[in-house]
Amino acid sequence: MKKNHTILHSILIAGFLILSCNKEIQDSSAVAYLPSNLDNNAGTWKPYILANTSEVAVADPKPVSDPEYLKELDSLKNFIAPRVSPENKAAIKYWGAGAVYRWNEIARELAAKYNLPPASNAEGKYPAPDAANPLADPKFPFANPPYTARALAYLCVAQYDALITAWNYKFKFNRKAPYKNDLSIQPLLPPTDLPSYPSEAAVVAAASYTVLIAMFPGEVPYLDSKLAECKNASVWAAMNTPSDISAGDALGKAVAAKVMTKAKTDGMAAANNQTLTTGMIEAAKGRGIQNPWLSQEAPLRPPMLPNYGAVLTWNFDKAALVSMRPPIPYVVGSPEFEKDLNELSYIQKNQTREQARIANFWSDGIGTPTPPAHWHRIAANAGIDSKFSEVRMARTLALLGTTEMDAGVACWDTKFYYYTPRPQQFGLKTSIGLPNFPSYTSGHATFSSAAATILGYLFPDQATEFIRLANEINESRIFGLIHYRIDCEMGFEHGKKIGIHAIARGKTDGSGQ
Amino acid sequence: MSRYYLPLFLMMGMLIGLQNSVPAQMPNDAIYMNKNTICVMAAYGQNSWDEYWENTLKRENLNIGTNTTQMYMVMVAAGITDKLNLLAGLPYVQTKNSAGNLLGQKGLQDLSATLKYKFFENHGLSLHGALGGSIPMSNYIPDFLPMSIGIGSTTLTGRIIANYKHHSGIYITLHGGYTGRNNINIDRDTYQAYDRVYNTSEVAIPNTADGGINLGYLKNGIQATLFMEKFDCIGGDAIRRNDMPFPTNNMVSNNVGAFLKYQPSHFGINGRIAYVTSGQNVGQALSFMAGILYQFSIKGESVGVSN
Repeated sequence: MKKNHTILHSILIAGFLILSCNKEIQDSSAVAYLPSNLDNNAGTWKPYILANTSEVAVADPKPVSDPEYLKELDSLKNFIAPRVSPENKAAIKYWGAGAVYRWNEIARELAAKYNLPPASNAEGKYPAPDAANPLADPKFPFANPPYTARALAYLCVAQYDALITAWNYKFKFNRKAPYKNDLSIQPLLPPTDLPSYPSEAAVVAAASYTVLIAMFPGEVPYLDSKLAECKNASVWAAMNTPSDISAGDALGKAVAAKVMTKAKTDGMAAANNQTLTTGMIEAAKGRGIQNPWLSQEAPLRPPMLPNYGAVLTWNFDKAALVSMRPPIPYVVGSPEFEKDLNELSYIQKNQTREQARIANFWSDGIGTPTPPAHWHRIAANAGIDSKFSEVRMARTLALLGTTEMDAGVACWDTKFYYYTPRPQQFGLKTSIGLPNFPSYTSGHATFSSAAATILGYLFPDQATEFIRLANEINESRIFGLIHYRIDCEMGFEHGKKIGIHAIARGKTDGSGQ
Repeated sequence: MSRYYLPLFLMMGMLIGLQNSVPAQMPNDAIYMNKNTICVMAAYGQNSWDEYWENTLKRENLNIGTNTTQMYMVMVAAGITDKLNLLAGLPYVQTKNSAGNLLGQKGLQDLSATLKYKFFENHGLSLHGALGGSIPMSNYIPDFLPMSIGIGSTTLTGRIIANYKHHSGIYITLHGGYTGRNNINIDRDTYQAYDRVYNTSEVAIPNTADGGINLGYLKNGIQATLFMEKFDCIGGDAIRRNDMPFPTNNMVSNNVGAFLKYQPSHFGINGRIAYVTSGQNVGQALSFMAGILYQFSIKGESVGVSN
């Protein structure tokens, strides 16, 4: 009996330990750093949308001896500094990782939140999300991979064009940081020699905000709070005065407005034109595709953005898009097709846990930030590891962002040009979920190969690793049973060509890389 | 496309499907194997649903059709003393959908073990405590719901049971339990839950609470019980509109069912049926289980159960 009590006692202690263990999840989080190079000449870099970095004017700042500016310094020192709360400090720490980095992260988070396909209604139809009523069911947008690739591209381009403009004015006006004009001011982030007018944090915040409220119109209150916090954190940390911030805010908004003017006419409005699919199927049949793609969902779901392939690209023109388009894949019934299909049948029966893990890791399906966003995350973290300046981080992500949108457009052009069937039309299952659009070429393969190519140029010491990741992603779609090998191999080749166009842009943008 | 319910299975698998059907007794009843008596059960169980609650919205999913989970279980109940029993079980689980293209999963699920102790007994009234846990026995995928065979959490359950038995054989049992569930790791290093994105592979799984009432008859080798049970997650998030379920979901279910056992000698049979009458983030499952029991004594003591 005594022994039994001892056993019970031990179990109770073990139980207490398990029940009381901390469930809190520790996210990895970037922290502030001193850039390895301030990129002082970034004001001469080539913009995407603007004609040059003087196109948008910034008002002259007050001289540092002006009473208004001195009053701002006094306020930083004697009013704001004593009132910085623990919450303010948490915001300073968060934004200290960089406004470009954080706004990219925010956009990816919104993509995940909105990456949900509309449900079918009682009539068996899938109502289209309505930008004018974004929080109704279904929510607008359905942030699928093409949508998100584009949203991130415009975000990154707006940040970049706004920041290189800011750099132009920073070094033109050369107003030093508050703590350099008044040595008794203690900054709460690493001090920098970067001129502070206009504020780079405010430029990025306002540019990002302007793009993101257009891309995610249901998130205005959330984005309002992030905009305010981002700008305030720079003042709380004594990195900027309010006049630095307001100049940056105006600049960011003005540049992003020009960027969004282009976005409105890039063809996205017609990307979901479902009336084109009948003609697309007929054209594909004319090219030799006798078993065209058919939705595997019930009720039949219209394909995702069938006309996204007509959206304007960034780093090459329509003629180049057509000339790079992969050739027709193996047709159903050919020995090569049978071989690819047999490979999938074998994996379905014998999928290893490691194959399933790889398929899951890279799946980036419903409810995730999507494959292009996965590469943004990889690139942003690589930029932090390389201690990139804010403006070089923006260049990195703009090159990647435009590449990923180009990859999406070119891949969608290919998918709907050939309109090929998914393996599930021949009885295969999937361990990750089946995307609702034609099979050839693999979007993952194209996104990943293009990303690995441009990132290999931007981070030469990691080029091999990026290619390894892209190859693993290629295999992941086969392991998940949703792509034939030919889809992945040809998508990979296609993505590489798309990435090379982006490298050409990077080499001539004045950055000296 | 929505998958869904395996969390339910795991939860109810642990809490209903498995433990309730441990031979002759369960962690939430007041029945004991006599000292040095062991009962082994082999059982088949199945549950299926074609409607589920997406948060509070009850819906069907034509890309799932009917989701079916099949379980092959081995269970043991052992009398360490007349007042202290050990219960253990291990299921092999496989899942499938009748529609759509999600690949069914299969494998050994979680080993569970419970110690149950009778603290007090007087004039048919008794009070009991049970402490048990479960641990995954294979590296199955926990977040491919509703196809996953479990959610991969290591759990620990504390339970109290109050029982009154009349000499006629009629009894009533009230029970309540709390289950701590450890965080899990998924294959991905980013996921969305609780309305935000986490950049880690670690996922916090809500703990659960459950309670129920059994009304039954037990005499001369016959046991017949009707039960009602409620399961709740402590926290957790909801399945979003038209999203897949996820292990963090706040799964809630209310169940009714019946349990029958006949054990005239060493050999016996039992059967169980249960139905989810209402819930959130779970499938409206109908489940049944049937088992064959073999009971024996290891020291020549009298074979039997006490209540």
